[in-house]
Amino acid sequence: MTREPAIEVEKLVREFRKGPRAVDGIDLAVAPGEIYGFLGPNGAGKSTTVLMLTTLLPPTSGHATVGGFDIIRQGAQVRATIGAALQEAALDAILTGREHLMLQATLQGLRSPERRERTRALLERVGLTEAADRRVGGYSGGMKRRLDLALALVHSPRILFLDEPTTGLDPQSRSALWEEVARLARDEGMTVFLTTQYLEEADVLADRIGIIDHGHIVAEGTPAQLKANIGGPSVEVTPAEPDDGGRLTELLSQFGEMRHNGNGSVTVQLPGGEAELADIIRILDRADLRVETLQLQQPSLDDVFLAQTGRKLEGSADGAENEGDAPAPEGRRGRRRRGR
Amino acid sequence: MSRFVSVARGVAWRSIHNTLVNPAILVPSIVFPLFFLIAFAGGLSRISDVPNFHYPPGYTAFQFVFVFLQSAAFGGVFTGFAVARDFDSGFARRLLLSAPRRSGIIAGYALGALGRWALTGTVVTIAALIAGMNVDGDGIQLVGLLGLGIAVNLAAALWAVGLAMFLRTEQAGAVIQMPVFVLLFLAPVYVPLSLLTGWIHDVAKLNPVTPVLEAGRGLLAGSPVKVTIAFVGLVAAFLVLSAFARRGLASAERAG
Repeated sequence: MTREPAIEVEKLVREFRKGPRAVDGIDLAVAPGEIYGFLGPNGAGKSTTVLMLTTLLPPTSGHATVGGFDIIRQGAQVRATIGAALQEAALDAILTGREHLMLQATLQGLRSPERRERTRALLERVGLTEAADRRVGGYSGGMKRRLDLALALVHSPRILFLDEPTTGLDPQSRSALWEEVARLARDEGMTVFLTTQYLEEADVLADRIGIIDHGHIVAEGTPAQLKANIGGPSVEVTPAEPDDGGRLTELLSQFGEMRHNGNGSVTVQLPGGEAELADIIRILDRADLRVETLQLQQPSLDDVFLAQTGRKLEGSADGAENEGDAPAPEGRRGRRRRGR
Repeated sequence: MSRFVSVARGVAWRSIHNTLVNPAILVPSIVFPLFFLIAFAGGLSRISDVPNFHYPPGYTAFQFVFVFLQSAAFGGVFTGFAVARDFDSGFARRLLLSAPRRSGIIAGYALGALGRWALTGTVVTIAALIAGMNVDGDGIQLVGLLGLGIAVNLAAALWAVGLAMFLRTEQAGAVIQMPVFVLLFLAPVYVPLSLLTGWIHDVAKLNPVTPVLEAGRGLLAGSPVKVTIAFVGLVAAFLVLSAFARRGLASAERAG
């Protein structure tokens, strides 16, 4: 028996007056319990898609269901099914963190004892117990983001929308948020629709990725599939003696396409995949060629974006720089990497 | 229905809570009506000596009814300012996203307005009693006066919330306030309608606030007049403005 998608979108369009089509006929389906990464540069249509799927913006045309409910005709049911943390964590500076959670629980119709218990548990989960009774106006950006996530989880939604949840966060906060998102999907079976412009975030967290540009989905698949579609991995070999460069070229010529990097260093494609790395090491060993470095390189999502659009993903350099310090969530990364 | 109630309760709680903990909102909402009461009832008390001015409980009571209803109306208007602020800050989007039944948001803001006015109305009444206001109406008549205040407050809140949802910016404040201000002050504020002359009399006679004000003064004096017409008018205003607020909400929903 096939399970009904948690999110199903058909030919969804949003046009703004005197503006371009922000979303131009996209189709996508997200399975229950899946983390779907929606990757694209600023202005690609990511947030507009989220606004439509969370019933905050009516589509110009097309059809979408969230949790089995039509986003146009069954908005109330959709909102009861989803939680969402949007790009701007719109919080009331006068309210405390605890009051925000109690308010959110009231809006969602939770009964009084449940409200208190859920508030306590969520404050603890996002590490805001000590700051719970402080006004939100004095919270840091990271604390606001964590509270925003807790607010989205108050009514234990089946589907969670996160619109650029780590933008502006320091590496530690980013890592903590990744851990929590991965845990929600892994332990609670929550479906997560995550928009991001950070390549590593999509790569580390998402089971599948949709790449959107100018309102169109230009590529979709698992990170491994997307990368595989644009070619296999490559290996960069640098000899200990630059004079051995010629011999190295000769030895590796039986593999894929080759590029010379200077100082005798060579990058060679591995059409047969990572398994060919062992062959390379054996050949070099037999030839007694001493190697200074040998580095396996996988195609990145930026390469995928470049291949699909002819452009680099905007801000990816910044993102990659910042993300470098943020360790990936253990469970999710471990599980997915094994599958690749 | 329970979703509607829970949304309304949450929004109303926040509105009242923010008023009570924020002096910048709380103090003006109490001070302005008190100022009007002191200025009008105290400073203009000799107006009651004008020939043909007949209001047995006295000028303080005469002015109290206006200030009481005015504070009710402005309690509603100030709620519209809060709605506009919520759109500017993005918090309104959170409410739209979190509320399964969005019409509960309107009800919540309106109940919040009522809660805020309950405080202001109480303070104004105590101040008037301390100032020696005579109350000639009986208990039922005073409940009637309270009912008028509640109806005025809710009607003004629905107007303000609806318009704030249409305009969705704090800059809408003047547009929200001005019609209410004009209607209130083109009613017989300082003297009875019969003592007004010229164009102001003609305008006051047509002003829908006039029968409400006269009904309130009649109830406080123990000699009710125009009570039915006042309540019918307010119920009609409530219904029309409810529809207006609902359309404002629909406009906000379309805008995203």
